[in-house]
Amino acid sequence: MKKLLCFVLCLAMMPFVFSASAENISINFSIWDKNQQPGMEAIAAAYTEKNPDVTINVQVTPWSEYWTKLQAAAAGGSLPDVFWMHSNQFYVYAEAGTMLDLTDLNIDYSPYPEGVTAMYQYEGGQYAVPKDYDTIALAYNKEIFDNAGVAYPDDTWTWDTLLENAKKLTDKEKGIYGYGAPLHDQEGFLNFIYQNEGYEFKDGKSGYDLPETREALQFYIDFALKHEVSPTPQSFADVGADDQFKAGRLAMLNVGTWMMSDYTVYDGIKDKFDLAVLPKGKVRASIYNGLGYAGAATTEHPEQVKDFIKFCGSEEANIIQAEHKAAIPAYAGTEKYFVEQFSNINIGAYPEMISYGVPFPFSQRKSLWINTEYENLGAVYSGEFTLEEACDRMHQTITEVEAE
Amino acid sequence: MDLRTVNKRRFKAEYAWGYLFIMPTIIGLVILNIYPLFDTLVLSLYKKQGLVGMKYVGLENYVKLFGDSLTWQSTLNTFLYVIYTVPIGIFLSLILATMLNNKIRFKSLFRGIYFLPIVVAPAAVTLVWKWIFNSEFGILNQFLNLLGIKGPVWISTPGVTLIAAAIIGIWSNIGYDLVMILAGLQSIPGTLYEAADIDGVNAWQRFFYITIPQISPVLFFVTVMRTMNSLKQFDTIYLLVDRSNPAFRSTQTLMVQFYIEAFQKYNQGYGAAIAAWMFVIIMLITVIQFIGEKKLVHYT
Repeated sequence: MKKLLCFVLCLAMMPFVFSASAENISINFSIWDKNQQPGMEAIAAAYTEKNPDVTINVQVTPWSEYWTKLQAAAAGGSLPDVFWMHSNQFYVYAEAGTMLDLTDLNIDYSPYPEGVTAMYQYEGGQYAVPKDYDTIALAYNKEIFDNAGVAYPDDTWTWDTLLENAKKLTDKEKGIYGYGAPLHDQEGFLNFIYQNEGYEFKDGKSGYDLPETREALQFYIDFALKHEVSPTPQSFADVGADDQFKAGRLAMLNVGTWMMSDYTVYDGIKDKFDLAVLPKGKVRASIYNGLGYAGAATTEHPEQVKDFIKFCGSEEANIIQAEHKAAIPAYAGTEKYFVEQFSNINIGAYPEMISYGVPFPFSQRKSLWINTEYENLGAVYSGEFTLEEACDRMHQTITEVEAE
Repeated sequence: MDLRTVNKRRFKAEYAWGYLFIMPTIIGLVILNIYPLFDTLVLSLYKKQGLVGMKYVGLENYVKLFGDSLTWQSTLNTFLYVIYTVPIGIFLSLILATMLNNKIRFKSLFRGIYFLPIVVAPAAVTLVWKWIFNSEFGILNQFLNLLGIKGPVWISTPGVTLIAAAIIGIWSNIGYDLVMILAGLQSIPGTLYEAADIDGVNAWQRFFYITIPQISPVLFFVTVMRTMNSLKQFDTIYLLVDRSNPAFRSTQTLMVQFYIEAFQKYNQGYGAAIAAWMFVIIMLITVIQFIGEKKLVHYT
């Protein structure tokens, strides 16, 4: 009786087993940005339409847990088939050989920003296809400018104009600050360092010993400490910079492209803000970064995964991505579809800055020294270190870590 | 066969059954606790960064660990957190438990309310408290304002933030300690109090000579557990301060430092050394507590 039951059960399972292997391949696709989920699902749907035998499951894990989860999955050999890769984290995964080598896909990389393609190369191989890029622009609150009678920022602005107008716009009684200078690298101080012809990290070397770098950091920190035209990191820890801008307490703030899908739907700010290119220092610069689509070396379906990644990098998928307001698509020429989605703001400032954009500095060992900037610059704000001391310490830490 | 061997055999057979019954727990402990414990100790002697490659470096991680002022700062923070939370937390639980042990109205309702924080996820608790602590819009500072006190910027002032974290810690754990102590109070035989009444003792004497000794095993258990949990504090502080917070250095505990090293910087060998340091601290404190147990705890 028992045997018979087993036999019947096995028989009953057969169709499922066969249909799973022969007809339908399921690919897991892991991302961290909930705002981009519809865009990614649309790309997945477009791919499934062409390849009915492949289903793609988009899974969102919030940024704060994404890397912890991915690290454990990589160590356990169970990475999702396809996943977003970030330049800061890339080397850890590439070095461990956990990513699928995409070199033989023979994609033409000329339409993508050079910096983004280069972020995902390791020992001559290409391990991720550029997905998008983002730059940093100056967002401003038109209402605060109108009330203070200050002209809106434009491409004639320099560091001096920025500081001067930030002073005019600051109204402490109303709790309004002219400019938000939080302790952020990508949106914040890095832009100033490169605009001052300094650098954070280049060709394996720390740039924190350079006077240009230090001068830029001093300028940035002084917004809050000396001129008091920006809230302090203490205030930003209480209420984040984005929230302060959205609450109408900051007249200006450096904002990355990725925040646009949020700002443009947030009632308090969507009709009140606009964008301008970053003010010019000695030179123009805006930090850009780009994500990549990567595959797992352990995937059971390497061919389908590669094919899907290739599709993600195609012009068609980039247009889908742009139409979902996700991010500026990496494929040259498709950014206009992104710009079209935003009728009432000067979103074009973002793609405009790519011509003089500086790739977000990356290195094989960055994850080991990335916290040193926050630790040491934070101590400058609290008065524990002088800027010189902090820069010496950062320079030393980065140099030591890189030399190991 | 004489009786002794028969007994011996039966004894052995019973032992075997005994082992068999505890096997599932033992297997779980070995796989999930004991093996990782030794693995961590071994890992702390290696340089392991990222996902591949291990290099034996002897005690280098420990030399670096104890040479870093940050380690001592987080160790101090961890101890301060324990000092802030454990005595006050247990004192408050004791008072509340004594009050709830009386015949008062809505007793079960109060017990339920005090226990509620235990069932809420620490992440949610921290996010709500973050708003309560907000220096401008937070209800706490508004309240202090009414009293004419200017409240501090709770979650980003070095020194103050750890106190804020301790307040959250006390608030979220009071219910558990309270229930334990309450159970202890209710198991005190009423005859003891009756006898004391006949002897004409006052309320204070009743409390210090009957209640406290009678519940001392529970108090000891609660103190040990609370101390260990406070030493392991991670989630509240991790969620309360991020790396751009000026109070980060003066707030992060050893567990937070461990998490950042092992999971954010991919510095697993060094992270393992922090975990080992944690292990030593917890062990020492627990040994001290068990020595104290012999002197202070009264078992009936």
